[in-house]
Amino acid sequence: MNRSESGRAMKLIGIVLIVFAALVATHEGEFWPFSIYPMFSQAGNPWTRAMVLDVTDIPDEEIWQQRPLSEKRGDPLPVRSVGVDQIDYSNFISKTENWTQSRREALLEMFGRDNIGNSRWMAVKVRGEPVGDDSVAVTVKPWLLLTRQGVEENPFLDESDYFRGGDH
Amino acid sequence: MTWYEKIGHQLFEPDREQTPGEIIVFRLFELFVLGYTIYYVWKWGFYTELRNIEVVLPLGIANYFDVSLLFSNNLTLINAGVITALIIPAYMRRGPKWIYMVILILFHLQYVIRFSQGEIPHSQNLIGMSVFAFAIGTIFFPGKKELPRFVMGAVIFFIGLGYTSAFFAKLIGTGINWADGRHLWLWISEKGIDILSRDGAYSPNLLQQLALGSTAAATMILLIGWLTELIGFTMWWNRIRPYTTTLLIGMHFGITLTMNIRFDAFVLQLIIVGYPWYMIADHLVEQVPKPLQLRI
Repeated sequence: MNRSESGRAMKLIGIVLIVFAALVATHEGEFWPFSIYPMFSQAGNPWTRAMVLDVTDIPDEEIWQQRPLSEKRGDPLPVRSVGVDQIDYSNFISKTENWTQSRREALLEMFGRDNIGNSRWMAVKVRGEPVGDDSVAVTVKPWLLLTRQGVEENPFLDESDYFRGGDH
Repeated sequence: MTWYEKIGHQLFEPDREQTPGEIIVFRLFELFVLGYTIYYVWKWGFYTELRNIEVVLPLGIANYFDVSLLFSNNLTLINAGVITALIIPAYMRRGPKWIYMVILILFHLQYVIRFSQGEIPHSQNLIGMSVFAFAIGTIFFPGKKELPRFVMGAVIFFIGLGYTSAFFAKLIGTGINWADGRHLWLWISEKGIDILSRDGAYSPNLLQQLALGSTAAATMILLIGWLTELIGFTMWWNRIRPYTTTLLIGMHFGITLTMNIRFDAFVLQLIIVGYPWYMIADHLVEQVPKPLQLRI
């Protein structure tokens, strides 16, 4: 490569940068493989993730209450053991805005009825938020109970909680 | 010389003669990129066939048509097969010069199909950017001497730009107090939940315990990482590149230890493009007998 080709290469990169900027600006910072790498850019905000708790042996009257993480009922199910990507699952739970019948079926499909078998798996939302100046509070909110037969809502929550947007 | 020509001079090194060692390293780099491409497209294809049901978050061209139509009937596996088949002539420099562009488009399609479930991962971005560099390089700089310089220079340019833009995304998104150590507490607890959910168990490692036990330590960890991102663009200067690369690799180890996020392909690629391996390769070439050297 000579000097004139080096200059031409920089001009090409300049054109690519314009296309890059136009694509990420119109697609919320992401047009793979172009990205402004916005992860972790907004610090200090509460977060919501998800887990699955095995509540097969937990009495019905104890499974639906929101509790601190340390007092959760049931052991965490390692979702990797049933071939589910944790990040996918977590986003599926926290970013779904309307829990339509097809979305609930999709959740069951994700884990597979055969994998659930005779167990009862509780899909929970886990929320972390700063408390005061020196700690983080993590609470577990039971969201949907998965059984081979279907999906049950948390009776302590209002129906509208399942149809008003994600991350709450 | 204009400022951008000076940057081009550093990235593409027009005054340096091409050597056998450079070609060897370049072809190995290409093999690395294509190997990862094949690995990703098949992995994403199998996962999609098994698990994707509905589109939760459309990315890229998935904003313009319903990619859930491609979730079944082995369509993602067929796409992976087509990409794999195209990679062979692309590497052999056979067929039309836009073959890498077709690979890139199909690779993008595979990504947006697989990651339509809400997750926006970035660990594959450098491989994607490298395929992009090959796609435009093979069209605009197809010559044997020009292609290696353009591809490596373009990849280094976008790596540097990516890190520095990540610094500014944080500055704009949060402000100068982004490095407040308490923010790291939130991320450690968040990632801890991901590990707990993935594996069924989680306990913080020593670095995480240190960060959780001291705001000052947590702030220092964030500050060092953030400033390392800021200087990412200094990779553009070839004399500084190995030092910047070393700092960036260190930062990635820090991210893995504090937030349990691994960027294997990122780090391997940094190792390949960030150091002047061609010097070692040239030295090795000099050791082989002359007739064999001529073949190389």
